[in-house]
Amino acid sequence: MLGQVIVSGILAGSLYAMVALGLGLIFGVMRVINIAHGPLLMLGAYTTYFLTTRAGMNPFLTVPVAMALLFGVGLLLQRALVFRVVDAPELSSLLLTFGISIALVNLAQLAFTSDLRAVEYITGAWVVGGLALSKPRVIAFLFAAAVTALSFLLLQRTRLGKAIRATSQSREVAMVCGVDVARIHMLTFGFGAALAAAGGALLAVIVAIQPEMGGVWTFKSFLVIVLGGAGNYPGALLGGLLLGLVEQVASLFLTTQLSEVVAYVLLVLVLLVRPSGLLGGRQT
Amino acid sequence: MRRVVAVALLLVVAALATYPIVGTGYGVRSVQQIFMWIALAGSWNLISGLTGYVSFGHVAFFGAGAYAGAILVASAGWPWPLAALAGGAAAVALAVVIGYPCLRLKGPYFAIAMLGLNEVLRALVSYFEGLTGGGNGLSLPTLDASVPIYYVMGGLALAVTGVAWLIVTSRFGLRLMTIREDELAAEAMGIDTFHHKLAALLLSAAGPGVAGALTARDQGYIEPISVFPLAITVTMIVMALFGGKGTVFGPVLGAVVLFVAQEIVWARYPYVHPLLFGAIIIAVVLLMPRGVLGLLQQRYRLPRTI
Amino acid sequence: MISKAPAALAVAVALAVGGVVPATAQGPIRIGASLSLTGTYAKLGKNQHEGYQLCEKDLNAKGGLLGRKVQFVVYDDQSMPATAVRLYEKLITEDKVDAIMGPYSSPVTEAAVNVTEKYKKVMVAPLAATTSIFKKGRKYVFMVISPAEVYLEGLIDMAAKRGLKTVAVVNEDTLFSKAAASGAVELAKKKGLQVVYTEAYPKGNTDFSALLTKLKAANADVLAAATYFDDAVALTRQMKELNVNPKMYGVTVGGDLPEFYDTLKQNAEYIYGATQWEPTLPYPGNQEWFEAYKKEFGHDPSYHSAAGYAGCVIYAEAAKRASGLDADHVREQLLKLETRTIFGDYKVDAEGFQTAHKMVTFQWQKEKKATVWPDDLAKAKPLFPTPPWTSR
Repeated sequence: MLGQVIVSGILAGSLYAMVALGLGLIFGVMRVINIAHGPLLMLGAYTTYFLTTRAGMNPFLTVPVAMALLFGVGLLLQRALVFRVVDAPELSSLLLTFGISIALVNLAQLAFTSDLRAVEYITGAWVVGGLALSKPRVIAFLFAAAVTALSFLLLQRTRLGKAIRATSQSREVAMVCGVDVARIHMLTFGFGAALAAAGGALLAVIVAIQPEMGGVWTFKSFLVIVLGGAGNYPGALLGGLLLGLVEQVASLFLTTQLSEVVAYVLLVLVLLVRPSGLLGGRQT
Repeated sequence: MRRVVAVALLLVVAALATYPIVGTGYGVRSVQQIFMWIALAGSWNLISGLTGYVSFGHVAFFGAGAYAGAILVASAGWPWPLAALAGGAAAVALAVVIGYPCLRLKGPYFAIAMLGLNEVLRALVSYFEGLTGGGNGLSLPTLDASVPIYYVMGGLALAVTGVAWLIVTSRFGLRLMTIREDELAAEAMGIDTFHHKLAALLLSAAGPGVAGALTARDQGYIEPISVFPLAITVTMIVMALFGGKGTVFGPVLGAVVLFVAQEIVWARYPYVHPLLFGAIIIAVVLLMPRGVLGLLQQRYRLPRTI
Repeated sequence: MISKAPAALAVAVALAVGGVVPATAQGPIRIGASLSLTGTYAKLGKNQHEGYQLCEKDLNAKGGLLGRKVQFVVYDDQSMPATAVRLYEKLITEDKVDAIMGPYSSPVTEAAVNVTEKYKKVMVAPLAATTSIFKKGRKYVFMVISPAEVYLEGLIDMAAKRGLKTVAVVNEDTLFSKAAASGAVELAKKKGLQVVYTEAYPKGNTDFSALLTKLKAANADVLAAATYFDDAVALTRQMKELNVNPKMYGVTVGGDLPEFYDTLKQNAEYIYGATQWEPTLPYPGNQEWFEAYKKEFGHDPSYHSAAGYAGCVIYAEAAKRASGLDADHVREQLLKLETRTIFGDYKVDAEGFQTAHKMVTFQWQKEKKATVWPDDLAKAKPLFPTPPWTSR
């Protein structure tokens, strides 16, 4: 039984990690806490749903499409609304993204109705040595790992990536070095949204899709950031996997009900004991 | 000028005090709701408006008070006014438990922690179902206390607004606002930011706690989903923002205007309710961050302590 | 000798005036209700609303109720008990409606009933399935559907008859599902089955892997799940993924919706569900009603539609027998009434608790729902045992 939950934990953790990375980038670069991250994930899930059911696309092939679409949405949001509060007190950016998140969820309810949607593509599991590896979750894991790896490649190797990391470390210095900070902000927000969308797209095959599905992801993404350390991008990976594992193992020993509390207790513990995150990050 | 304002206020209070004699059951309930929102928005303002520490889970205090009050009435036979006070105390206790770890750090962490608090409390309520009835909810012995609750809720609204006025006109309030403007500078000046923030949080939790317990008594039945909904937090935030966060009467204005708008206009369009609220939040944050009252303060040079 | 003519004339005039005035002073009978048109219960609340609307239409087509037209006044409580309480106060004290019909779901009904009891208004509550609502000494509330506790009765009964020994019960942690689960546990024990595993999960839970891992280890013959829709879907999918193979697997609400099969496709086969009503049941006028509903609203009715319709019809019947809308007279009639509508049988005990209505258990067989229990209403034999996932 323990082996089974560890597998489940790792599979779930990969999605947490990828989505949290998106949030972490937005926070690291712009100091904006994007409460609308969950709803962006939800929009990614709906994108996959509609492409799969209306256009007959393979759900896993819709992942890049969803990412591209939400990248655009992210750019738009940043350019129209978010950029105005980047320099304002944190209260403003929190409230703004909060307002955006409520609006997005309601728009989704109006456009798509609250009816549950599900994408039926692949079900069942590969059984390996007594452990059942859920097929959709394994494929999601592989995709998430690929997307995350590509993201890191982008961050480490490309000029854009270096500009992002520079801005993340110190905006003023980056500006002095000639980085177009406004453009970086826009691209980062889009990038973050794209990662959320990828999470949503992959989730579409696993869970039921409905407008409120994103809310819990916002909180858990933050939790991952806190675990891994704000501004510490590889930390998000570790944090994600850790969260996935802790949740699954806890539900084994506690009831499913209390496993929600576990995530929260974890947050509070980390905040108390090591607020800079397990791998150390930057203090805000 | 002062005299006129004072008389006007007295008239309003007198009218509200005598309303239950002439109002319908529905009317009394509606005004009571306005009182509740004034208390909630005003309380949210105490922590988020004055210190800048946004609380996204404030409904947790409401729910905690509701459950504490309901359990005391249903299982221990307490009279409801006492249970209401106990509800407030329970909420304050919760605020201490949350505040200690989370307020030591800066704003974003507090916001994140408050975001998840709601769900945790719901889970805990479900877990301790022997005490709380879990998913079954909790039923209180039938009692029609609509009118007494009206008065108590009115008193609560008055109390919260009064406390806000006291704080804003005091040095304590000034220090809170200093924390909001520049926490680092505040610390450099020697302000014990942690204890100030904690005090603000505790004060802001009491109102929702009492309101929750009163609501539980009024409805006669509570269940986890209905006392911890995000919608309550959203509404109190919108009301305080719209009216003017950081001001004393801003939340009052916001509560009255938005509640009336909700009942008259938006009741016809329930489907777009959250969208409208989201749009208002965005508009206020971008266009009038100090709310309506803040705008008026600037335009007409009104005193800072309104 | 007293002249009779002037007296007769006076009486005639009095009768004429008395007869004319009420007729022109009567408006329509306004029936108020707060329904969940938005929010969590929106989909099913809408079906209930359509049931009320169809009832309104049918009553008016037959000349109305007590000689007056019927008009529903409906507000949206957004699936929130607190809002419903205010709206019922509004309907009763401000809109001053003539009669009241119940809302959707047990929690909302439980809260709303306090208002209707306060003002002593009769409320037929067609979509409240929780026993506790009707066991609190209330006088004016009446139940139409079968209580939650018997939803899984068919599954347990069939299991016992086939000699199965162990059962696992899981449920969503909300009012209705908890009642259904505890009812299932009681029934199982009564029929000699051993309950080897129980767990409640929070509303909105999407990951059942830990729960199912533990359940698989318990190795129960039967899995009785008190669910709604999305949890039923998620649970089923993960059962396949983790290869959990009970010999019988049944769900409650949600399993009977066509969407259940649309979403799960082949994976829904062999699953048992319980429903308060099916269009194929031999109740009077059922088939015609089904066609009329489809024509009016463009989609199939669910049992919520049928229950709403029946509740309204039952109220109207009681009002007719009471020759008026006086709450105490109508209440008397509702307590005495025994009838069968398109929805099934109606009879309540002294507390308004439904005693006659029967639930049916069906099984998804070859893309269709086949009624398999109780025997007198069954149309097919259950496909037993459910084959393991890997051999389908």
